[in-house]
Amino acid sequence: MNLLDSLTTAFALPFMGRALLVLIVLSVAAGVIGVFINLRGLEFLSDGLTHAVFPGLAAGFVFGGQGGVLIGALVAAAAATIVLTLMSNNRVTSDATTAIVLTAMFSIGVIIVSASPGRAGGLEQLLFGHLLTVTDSEAITTAVVAGVALVLVLLTFRRQVFRAFDPEGSAAAGYRRVSTELVLNVAIALVIVAASNAVGNLLVLAVLIVPGALSRLVTTKLGGLFAVAVGAAVFASWMGLALGFNISVVGGVDVPAGATVALSFVTLYAIALIVRVLRKGVNA
Amino acid sequence: MSPRTRPIPIITDDALTITGGAFSYGSTPALTEVNITVKPGEAMALIGPNGSGKSTLLKGVLGLIPLLEGSMGFGKSAESIGYLPQTEHIDPEFPVTLKQVVMMGRYRKMGLFSFPTSTDRAAVRKAIANVGLTNVANKRFGSLSGGQQQRGFLARALASEPGLLLLDEPFNGLDQPNRDALMQTLRQLKAAGVAIIVTTHDLELAREVCDTVLFVNGRQIAFGPKDDVLTLANLQEVFHEFQVEIDEHTVVVPGHEGH
Ligand SMILES: Nc1ncnc2c1ncn2[C@@H]1O[C@H](COP(=O)(O)OP(=O)(O)OP(=O)(O)O)[C@@H](O)[C@H]1O
Ligand SMILES: [Mg+2]
Repeated sequence: MNLLDSLTTAFALPFMGRALLVLIVLSVAAGVIGVFINLRGLEFLSDGLTHAVFPGLAAGFVFGGQGGVLIGALVAAAAATIVLTLMSNNRVTSDATTAIVLTAMFSIGVIIVSASPGRAGGLEQLLFGHLLTVTDSEAITTAVVAGVALVLVLLTFRRQVFRAFDPEGSAAAGYRRVSTELVLNVAIALVIVAASNAVGNLLVLAVLIVPGALSRLVTTKLGGLFAVAVGAAVFASWMGLALGFNISVVGGVDVPAGATVALSFVTLYAIALIVRVLRKGVNA
Repeated sequence: MSPRTRPIPIITDDALTITGGAFSYGSTPALTEVNITVKPGEAMALIGPNGSGKSTLLKGVLGLIPLLEGSMGFGKSAESIGYLPQTEHIDPEFPVTLKQVVMMGRYRKMGLFSFPTSTDRAAVRKAIANVGLTNVANKRFGSLSGGQQQRGFLARALASEPGLLLLDEPFNGLDQPNRDALMQTLRQLKAAGVAIIVTTHDLELAREVCDTVLFVNGRQIAFGPKDDVLTLANLQEVFHEFQVEIDEHTVVVPGHEGH
């Protein structure tokens, strides 16, 4: 099987088709939500949520196996979202405290998994996902969770744009600030949960942040941002998955496909950045 | 779930009535003893020195800060409130055009799933024309000059077709032709029955377009028809730390013209 086959016919294999389907749903949700993350400058909060979700994933995995991961992650995400939303609204803590607390959460997750002997290999799976071995039911739950996130943002699309551009103006227009922010944060958390399941907790940020950041390099049109982000995410998923397939299935080297997908996202971003610099100069 | 932030309005015939109103950011009130009525088609000038509570009153009316004491009543026409903030903190790189910003003024009128209708687009076009920015309608908002951005935000307030319009220092930073155009716009809005509150340091302007005047300085100093309220005694009470010069035609408050 050559590289071209990896990009095309390989996806006829059931596990590859499943992986691609999961990634496409994730890409659409993460593309749209990632644009808002970029416009609002919520990269740090997203990073925080990702860390905070980890102990939930870990506890769910240890106590409930693969089926418990989603529930654990959802519980942790709900708690973290509420805490982080309230914290950012009341400015009760600094970025430093937040970073310390979240790193602690991440360590707790690592300890939980490592300390449970019956779950060998669990840590790696939680960190890097198991894209090529997702089951049908995992694919469905991932798609549903990402779909809910997307619907939340689409239902509040205008107020999210308004809030991102002009917080005071949107509040003056009668849009409740906290609820607008909470909806977006919940959507971000849901994408993190869905993506953690597929590409692993450590690689979630690439899927979540790269498409939005990339779209800002390519266009200054609001509608264009969403189209570019979603398009780039789908394309990068396809490339990354094909690469992962080529290395691990064809080449026989055990590399998690989540890592090649993340690498593909980052590479696409690097290309967009280089093209932009070449066209407009460093400061443009 | 209602996205409204405003308190449940008491419906009155007047556009806005505040009785014994006190507004605060934290626990100590920033403005107290407010007793005012603004009728449809009437403009009220809101005058006071820096830090006297002018912006505070507008934010209080919008529900951005709480009403600590007293009550506020809104007329049916004041269901839609237009607002031009004194300063806007926006990201100059934000990828929206002027037209898209003005369309935000229509958001509250649109259904959840509907796209802008021809009515929405017409209102946006008209509002942009009204502030003289038609030729830059498709430019990125952040690339416009300060004065143009301010007029853009005014257009956004106009596009919402408000029954009550709150303008925080709208004449600041406008050149003479645009000042005149804004005066003209305010007269037209009044004729159409819109109630207007405009904060200003320019007494001449207050005299020209406004019907009533509210003087504040941490509390209400005076309120009433402009001819009754624009008196030397009131001016001295409001601006006590300043020398008020008065000649036959104009009242100048030193140190405030440029603000
Ligand atoms: N966000 C805020 N938080 C706390 N206090 C505030 C806030 N904004 C204003 N204040 C205080 O409220 C008081 C009234 O301020 P306000 O902005 O209403 O003044 P103003 O009359 O609009 O002044 P200016 O002419 O400078 O615009 C001031 O003492 C100010 O320090
Ligand atoms: Mg002010």
